[in-house]
Amino acid sequence: MLVPGRRAGFDRAVERYFGGLYRYAYWLCRNRWQAEDVVQESLLRAWRAWPALREERALRSWLFTIVHREHLRAAARAPRSENDGGAEEPGYHPDPGGTLDMEHALQALPDDSREALLLQVLGGFSCAEIARVLGASEGAVMTRLTRARQALRRQLGAADEATGTAREARKA
Amino acid sequence: MNCFEFRRAAMLDPRRLDTEALGHAERCQACGTMLAEALELEAQIENALHIPVPHGLRERAVRNALETPRISRRQALAAGLALAATAAASLLWRRDDPLALAGIDFVVFEEAQAILDAKPADPVALQRAAVQTGIVLPAQLGELRYVGTCPFAGTTAHHVVLKTAFGKATLLLLPDRPLGARLIASARGLHAAISPTTGGSVVIVADSSRGIARIETILKSG
Repeated sequence: MLVPGRRAGFDRAVERYFGGLYRYAYWLCRNRWQAEDVVQESLLRAWRAWPALREERALRSWLFTIVHREHLRAAARAPRSENDGGAEEPGYHPDPGGTLDMEHALQALPDDSREALLLQVLGGFSCAEIARVLGASEGAVMTRLTRARQALRRQLGAADEATGTAREARKA
Repeated sequence: MNCFEFRRAAMLDPRRLDTEALGHAERCQACGTMLAEALELEAQIENALHIPVPHGLRERAVRNALETPRISRRQALAAGLALAATAAASLLWRRDDPLALAGIDFVVFEEAQAILDAKPADPVALQRAAVQTGIVLPAQLGELRYVGTCPFAGTTAHHVVLKTAFGKATLLLLPDRPLGARLIASARGLHAAISPTTGGSVVIVADSSRGIARIETILKSG
């Protein structure tokens, strides 16, 4: 399917994918301000390169690839600041404690495992698509995803155990 | 499908299991329990990853993308060639020019006193002098630290001290001093260039020739 009019197509793509692109940038940078820069620069690149886009079905992976590359460029320009001091927008989480444990567990993942997991969960990509975005083999992506989930289960299990122990200690 | 194959598929993506895997989970209680836990973990991951998007960011990003002017490859190439030609010309024109040297001497020996003796700056007069000289002083030049007038090489110069990204720089606007070609000099650890303008010339003195080139580029583009 050919891509429709440039501005209309761009608006529609932004409308549809912006949330995922921003979140992907945020979890790559782990800093809100850097993520904002990355996503803004990525949209600028996407708009400029739009005429080169031939097929709309490639759009999603194309956009995520741009964000991924822009993140690498930004990281090469300036070292990552690990924490932005809680500058995240306030949001509602039904289980703030559990979410915090999960955030710590996600941040503790090796970069390559986290990147693959982000693309799968936020972008909804298959292993083959993730492999293309990251420039890795499909087998490597499968290994990274499995290891990511194993690590999360391990870490969250440990966090649950620690919480339970603390609760029992308080009771005693 | 056996339990091992099922678990491998579930660890890869528990939300996209095929019918064979789902059938196995229904038949095998242990794998069914494992799938329920895996889906719960998936929900937790998704919940944690779905941080809110900053308010107004999408609109800002789109506006930024649509409004940022694009420099075409041809323009970039032309600019690169012009820069290379300027650099080559500068290398060929290495002889220290007396007027450019006078600019350096002014900065070294007279500038401090000129600033001490200065009356309050008159930005309107500076703008007028800039127009008369045929240049504009865009904000990206840097921070204006001092503005005044001073005698220089038999004429009155409009003296500007700037704090730029490349360090301190001095400009002497000479509306009454037309020039045929660019002149340069280096002495006392400083570099100077005098660039012809449409209404006269401008002396630029800075710590580095790179800083001077940058200022000249900004003055020309302004």
